[in-house]
Amino acid sequence: MIPLVETSRELDEEQERRTLERAWRHPGGLVGWCSYTTHQAIGMRYIVTAFVFLLAGGVEALLMRLQLARPENGFLGPDRYNQIFTTHGSTMMFLFAVPMMEGMGIYLVPLMLGTRNVAFPRLNAFGYWMYLIGGLFLYWGVFTNTAPDVGWFAYPPLSGPQFGIGKRVDFWAQMITFTEISALCVATELIATILKMRAPGMSLNRIPLFCWAMLVQSFMVIFAMPAVMLASNIFLLTDRTVGTHFTNPAEGGDPLLYQHVFWFFGHPEVYIIFIPALGMVSSIVDTHTRRAIFGYPAMVLSMAATGFIGFGLWVHHMFATGLPQIGEAYFTAASMMIAITSGVQIFCWLATMWSGRIRMTAAMHFVFGFVAIFVLGGLTGVMLASIPIDLQVHDTFFVVAHFHYVLIGGALFPLFGAFHHWFPKFTGRMIGETAGKATFWLLFLGFNLTFFPMHILGLKGMTRRIYTYQPEMGWGPANLLASIGAFVILCGGLLFLSNVIRSRRHGAPAGADPWASGTLEWAADSPPANYNFVYLPVVPGRYPLWTDPKQRGLVTGVRADRREVLVTTIMDAAPHHRYPLPGPSIWPLLTAAGVSAGLIWAVYQFSGYYPAIALGTAGLIGWFWPRTPAGDER
Amino acid sequence: MTAQRTLDVSHLPDHSISSEAPLWWGQMLLAAIEGTMFAILIAMYFYYRLSLDVWPPRPTELPPVLLPTIVLVLLIVSCLGSYRASEAAKGDDRGGMSRWLLFNLGFGLAAMLARGFEWAALPFTWAADIHGSLVWTILALHTLDVAADLIFTAVLLVLLRQGYHGPRQRLGVHVDSVVWYFLVLIWIPLYVVIYWGPRLVRAPR
Repeated sequence: MIPLVETSRELDEEQERRTLERAWRHPGGLVGWCSYTTHQAIGMRYIVTAFVFLLAGGVEALLMRLQLARPENGFLGPDRYNQIFTTHGSTMMFLFAVPMMEGMGIYLVPLMLGTRNVAFPRLNAFGYWMYLIGGLFLYWGVFTNTAPDVGWFAYPPLSGPQFGIGKRVDFWAQMITFTEISALCVATELIATILKMRAPGMSLNRIPLFCWAMLVQSFMVIFAMPAVMLASNIFLLTDRTVGTHFTNPAEGGDPLLYQHVFWFFGHPEVYIIFIPALGMVSSIVDTHTRRAIFGYPAMVLSMAATGFIGFGLWVHHMFATGLPQIGEAYFTAASMMIAITSGVQIFCWLATMWSGRIRMTAAMHFVFGFVAIFVLGGLTGVMLASIPIDLQVHDTFFVVAHFHYVLIGGALFPLFGAFHHWFPKFTGRMIGETAGKATFWLLFLGFNLTFFPMHILGLKGMTRRIYTYQPEMGWGPANLLASIGAFVILCGGLLFLSNVIRSRRHGAPAGADPWASGTLEWAADSPPANYNFVYLPVVPGRYPLWTDPKQRGLVTGVRADRREVLVTTIMDAAPHHRYPLPGPSIWPLLTAAGVSAGLIWAVYQFSGYYPAIALGTAGLIGWFWPRTPAGDER
Repeated sequence: MTAQRTLDVSHLPDHSISSEAPLWWGQMLLAAIEGTMFAILIAMYFYYRLSLDVWPPRPTELPPVLLPTIVLVLLIVSCLGSYRASEAAKGDDRGGMSRWLLFNLGFGLAAMLARGFEWAALPFTWAADIHGSLVWTILALHTLDVAADLIFTAVLLVLLRQGYHGPRQRLGVHVDSVVWYFLVLIWIPLYVVIYWGPRLVRAPR
């Protein structure tokens, strides 16, 4: 229990607000704009940038569907088609899904925890700039005929020095470096924020499920991303630029080890995308059923268990490589175990809805769509975990159908639900509900129209990554259906976009808490002030805004005249010390620019890493150098 | 406004040179990231090693062991400087911080000098075979990490010498020591694997 005192003296809220406004004000001008370090600004930049990449990846998907709409189509040649499907996969995984989830986390986690910013605001800005530059770098390749053409996982020897000619693979590999640096920055700061900067009273068993999800996801990033850094940098880049032998069997190397290392990252990556979506679903479900989530401990344990099991599944991507069967059997069992932890959560949500009073908002529509599609994807997942089936449908459209069901169903639908749910918080205005529901139906129908036929195509033997097929194969009608579905999805996307643009200007004013929700982000203004809360809250229960107002409290004594936050203990969130956060700075951008120049140079010459290191170090020194005279740090 | 229930925290300190500081957690997570990377490198080393009958593939090209051992000893001794500097930071002992950081930096630089000689004398390059690629990669990544931390230490030392002794710098000294312990600790298994492994277990499978 956090001891609260009844104060008789009135709190001068207006005065406090004015002081906070001054301390947290954004610097002006273009340089100032590039110096922002508040989590709302950086989070929104991630969200908008990732959305643009979603549109780019969507256009690539449409191009592929146009090409496959009829047999022996000549719209795209094989080389262009290879570049487009690789860029589509890489964009969706590295430039859309992960950064989008990170952006939502950066925006929402400090609000939900009742603090003012993330633990390392400048690292946050640095991570964003690295992500942006990495994404633009890949698309520079796309527009100069240097887009990767070896699949989003770039297996050697196809991607190795012998066959992956030109710079296409190197562009891909270095893009990975950029996005992984960014993801690791976000994971580090989110973990530190969630463990150390929660509002007093928010003990571990009171953390909102979305924050638990981001915590589990961030730990997965910490342990998964180093693997892909090694895969892209050591196996591909150094083999390709300076002649190491990691993938060269003639000198003892082994291309198969690349697959192990890549999927040791690649499989957790799926959960890195999916687990935040679970948190979003929980937030939407408890608000729109107006009751506390059913089985909170089971939910938390399932998410954590998914995080652990997620690291023991990677070989199920490699069943067709001829590994020993005893090993494969273990990975089959582990893959099927995921169904248990996912099932627990699905049943908890169903129990919550069953016993709650459901409000059929647009956000809730997306949750229902998520449950339906994700369960279907889960079922084909259990099928694919079985080795005989996997070998039969390996590299066919059945697999394409499966992972679009789990990724679009499991991540994109919750994400669109989250957009509709938190739109009032982001913008201060309500989003059009009718248009939102129409968006849902277009996406839901379009999605099933596009991807359901792919199950059948796969069973009929249509392999992935082929740019065309002969009419005698009989794949034409199902492919045409899928292509029509893709354009229905496009209509859904355009409707969503127009709804956002219209609601941002003309939506009804939302107020702080339009949904009568229970978690702390709804206690802040909509959109939140840079400092989030005038007084940091004291948390009496799992849903602070649903508890008796008499039990709630406010924190006083955190300095308002500088960017100060309260650090609390890990287990009980008891106040421990106050902590000043760094203010706005241009150095994160300068550091990112310096490192990026070197990394891009390193695509052409290994020696580019030296300027990357030197400029990065110089940037960091500028970043940390004190701005006040010695002896005057306070 | 009516009376409020409040929690006054103005009496709490505005810094903490301990594991309660968010920055300490950030550094631990950095260590977890680097530790994962080195653990995967060790796994890779043994994966490649198990697939070959003779290791290293060119048996004459074992990495010499004397200089790496000196590097390891120097690194371990340098930890004393980190430890004493971080204790001095907790006690706000300004002279102690400078002195022991200098000790840490001196031994760290000596270790890197010895590693430079070791590197120059390696009987193989990264392009010789898979063993060469592995040893060079492990050495390069560890050296990069150590060099980064030494630069960080040097910058801290300059700041302390210029009279910056605030909580930020003291916390910096403390977390610098945590990272340094990690870099030295992780080198022990890597040292055993790349220098002693091929000597102790030489027989073909």
